[in-house]
Amino acid sequence: MINLHRYILLASLAITTLTAQAQKITFTPQWTAQAQFAGYYVALEQGFYKEAGLDVEITHPTTSLSAIELLRSGKSNITTMQLCQAMQSKDDGLDLVNILQTSMNNALVIVSGNEETPLRKGIRVGTWSVPFDQIAIAMSLKEQLEYEWIPIASTSTLLVTGAIDATLAMSYNEYYLLKQSGVHLTEDNVYRFSDHEYNVQEDGAYTLRSYYQNHRDELKRFAAASRKGWEWAAGHPEETLDIVMDYVTRNHTVTNRPLQRLMLKEVLRLQTDRESGQREFRLRPDMVKLANELLLESQLLLNEVKYEDLIAE
Amino acid sequence: MKIIEHYRSSLPRSLSLLAVLLASVVFFAALAFMFDQAREAVKREAMERATQILDNTVQRADNILSNAETATANTLWQIKRQLHQKDSMVVYATAFMKSNPMMEGCSIAFEPYFFEQQGRYFSMYVGKEEDGSLITAIEGSASYEYFYMDWYQLPKLLDRPAWTDPFLDVDVDIDNEAKMIVSYGMPIKDDAGKYVGTLSTDISLSWLSQTISAVKPYPNSYSIMLGRNGTYFVHPDTSKLLYESIFTETLENDNPDRLALGQAMVRGEEGVRQAVVDGEHCYMFYKPLGTTGWSVAIVCPEKDILSGFHRLQNAVITIFILGILIMLLVMGRIIRRQLKPLETLAAQTEVIANGDFSQVIPYDGRTDEIGRLEQSFTHMQHSLVSYIDQVKRSVAAKASLENELKVASDIQMSMVPRIFPPFPDRDDIDLYASMTPAKEVGGDLYDFFVQDNRLYFCVGDVSGKGVPASLLMAVTRNLFRVIAQQGYTPSEIATKINHALSEDNEQGMFVTMFIGMANLETGRMDFCNCGHNPPVICIPGEPARFLSMQYVNIALGMMDGMEFQGETLPDIRGQRLLIYTDGLNEAENPSFELFGNDRLIETMNHVGGKPSRVVIEEMLEVVEKHRAGAVPSDDLTLLCLMLKA
Repeated sequence: MINLHRYILLASLAITTLTAQAQKITFTPQWTAQAQFAGYYVALEQGFYKEAGLDVEITHPTTSLSAIELLRSGKSNITTMQLCQAMQSKDDGLDLVNILQTSMNNALVIVSGNEETPLRKGIRVGTWSVPFDQIAIAMSLKEQLEYEWIPIASTSTLLVTGAIDATLAMSYNEYYLLKQSGVHLTEDNVYRFSDHEYNVQEDGAYTLRSYYQNHRDELKRFAAASRKGWEWAAGHPEETLDIVMDYVTRNHTVTNRPLQRLMLKEVLRLQTDRESGQREFRLRPDMVKLANELLLESQLLLNEVKYEDLIAE
Repeated sequence: MKIIEHYRSSLPRSLSLLAVLLASVVFFAALAFMFDQAREAVKREAMERATQILDNTVQRADNILSNAETATANTLWQIKRQLHQKDSMVVYATAFMKSNPMMEGCSIAFEPYFFEQQGRYFSMYVGKEEDGSLITAIEGSASYEYFYMDWYQLPKLLDRPAWTDPFLDVDVDIDNEAKMIVSYGMPIKDDAGKYVGTLSTDISLSWLSQTISAVKPYPNSYSIMLGRNGTYFVHPDTSKLLYESIFTETLENDNPDRLALGQAMVRGEEGVRQAVVDGEHCYMFYKPLGTTGWSVAIVCPEKDILSGFHRLQNAVITIFILGILIMLLVMGRIIRRQLKPLETLAAQTEVIANGDFSQVIPYDGRTDEIGRLEQSFTHMQHSLVSYIDQVKRSVAAKASLENELKVASDIQMSMVPRIFPPFPDRDDIDLYASMTPAKEVGGDLYDFFVQDNRLYFCVGDVSGKGVPASLLMAVTRNLFRVIAQQGYTPSEIATKINHALSEDNEQGMFVTMFIGMANLETGRMDFCNCGHNPPVICIPGEPARFLSMQYVNIALGMMDGMEFQGETLPDIRGQRLLIYTDGLNEAENPSFELFGNDRLIETMNHVGGKPSRVVIEEMLEVVEKHRAGAVPSDDLTLLCLMLKA
């Protein structure tokens, strides 16, 4: 009896210790530190994660280790990813679960280096060496534009020298970098995918299904705290910017405050659903369907990735 | 106000102030013109200087970059000779680094699978360590896909040699040390002219930064260098390097000037623009840097360019102000000394003006206006003294004459009855008379007396005025009294007086006269009018009127031997008569308007019913009012009579 009591006591002590100790989560956004991930920084810095009983560490990918690699290797538990990228990864066999969808609109644009429309046949178009360009490829195939895709490392030099004719850009990032490079941006030389039949959601937070199954509760709390972080960011843009600039400085991101301010504003704009006018934080089945159609048609996806397969429950 | 008063009260002070003010205006205009011209000249000179410095800097940088270009081109030629000898590449790269010690690195990078046995990546890199030794590496991996780097892609895509924009050579895996590097890349082509890779040589930006940063034509001027996309690669605020571009300020706010400047610079233009940088007006001198596509600019604050000019300007303004003050002081003293005699003169004339003519006006022998003024004053003083002497004598003479006249006036006034009522024991005669000479003595006369229950009276007016008239008046009055007392009728009296006056009347003077004789018992009045104004008669219940007469004789003394005609009024009792001289109806006001007969009648209508004294007093009052201060031009005599029943 005595022994049994001792066991019970020990067991209850162990449980108490476990619950009292915040669960450690490593979160890795998919790109260098910038306002694109402001909500997560805010959640950490404002203590929303801590309040949720989570010990979150935010790390950023390096040139040699991408966020998805970190996730795959278990060095990171959660990463952000664009919807198309997540679908492709899933198609490739990486079983991902969307635990929080932040983007409600597509940010992709094509910017032409001259005043003409970028929808010109056979032109050289700069793209990333990482797969953020699925929708653009799908569009170019659909429109039979026969673009020559040039993976580029820097944003504007090739465009301003005329080495390429146009470049892909995110409306919250490269778009403003191009503006900062003196590229004249007009209605004519900027093509916004979201304004056409390509409005597919982008950033969301993903984790491996295996991890999800063991950490449902923490992940729910992570999602709720992150969402709270984004809401706070929307309500406190300048304070948020201060937090972002801290991350930017620590991570040596080549940027500046005006660029980050514009980025934050645009990212927050993209989070608002066009139909409801709300920041909804949900994957839209119709957008998943649209993404499937576009990617399957352009053979960027071999099998359909269903909405139900992406979401947590 | 006190200052103005202070200056206005003194001629030297106000003169010197005026002179200084005038001089100030002239100087100021001249200075303003000079400053304007000088400012432009200084600006022009500064612009030429800054442009020259910029040209030299760019030239110097360009020389170094050209050397790199030439060295790279030489190596390319060697590479192309043995393009497929993979192992030669390290030799060329090493040789390049050894013969070009200012270079930081050399990459000979090829398209994927160019050397099949090397796989996807082959980039021969020889780089310089901090200690100067060389390291060799074959680069390229999944995490470093050099194909996407600007240094590789620019020559490839542009199909010509090209400079990259400066970039951070970050090797985070080793020591996270960042260096700013620029690369010059040339496309490597095979014999068929097909692009197979890029030869890229690296040069540290630090020497270029130092060269450009060192350009400092003015204490607060600085240099900047922009990449093709406007990014700052040289800037005194190092926090902007790579992180900001010349367009960053245009991201959130419209800044057309900045935008135009940035666009001109990235387009590779050369020029000068005015711009506001950090709230300060600056001149930006900009020029492209060789074939790099970069642009170098010198930013010169306008106040720096003009600092020498401003020093000069301040000095000149100080001298100007001091000069004006000294001028004011010196001019004041000089003018004061020059005008000193005037001051003395002013003081002495004041004394003279106060009556002391003994003052000696100084004369210091000057021949200018002031000397002449002194002489004129002396002359004037002498004239004044003699004139005042004359005046004194005249005044004394006049005083004596006036005294005599006063006596004469008293005598004359004593000739006519002046005690009223004249017949206190009789209540049937209401008579009152008044005589006012225009001068001390006059030519008017009146007289009356009662004899044998008859009242004799007369009013006369001698032609002319003053002493001659008064003498004739005296004569006439005596004649009247002497002749009338002999019991003659008025016409006989007139005839006799006329005769007496006409004799020896060489002066041609005459007397108008109304002579009356009233029987106090019956009220009958005989009268004779000798050229005199018709008297006014007031009959109770009737309006006053002039006495209508059958005969108006000529004045007395005009023609000897004349028989004067008399007339009779049956009974004048209860009727009032006013006999007067033309000093009444011809009294003038300042506008030379006569009192007039109408006014006379009107006044009599008002006062005719009152006692004779009142009639005359009120009549005099009305006349005085009419005259309104005008000096009487003629003697005025009034006699008012009413006999009571």
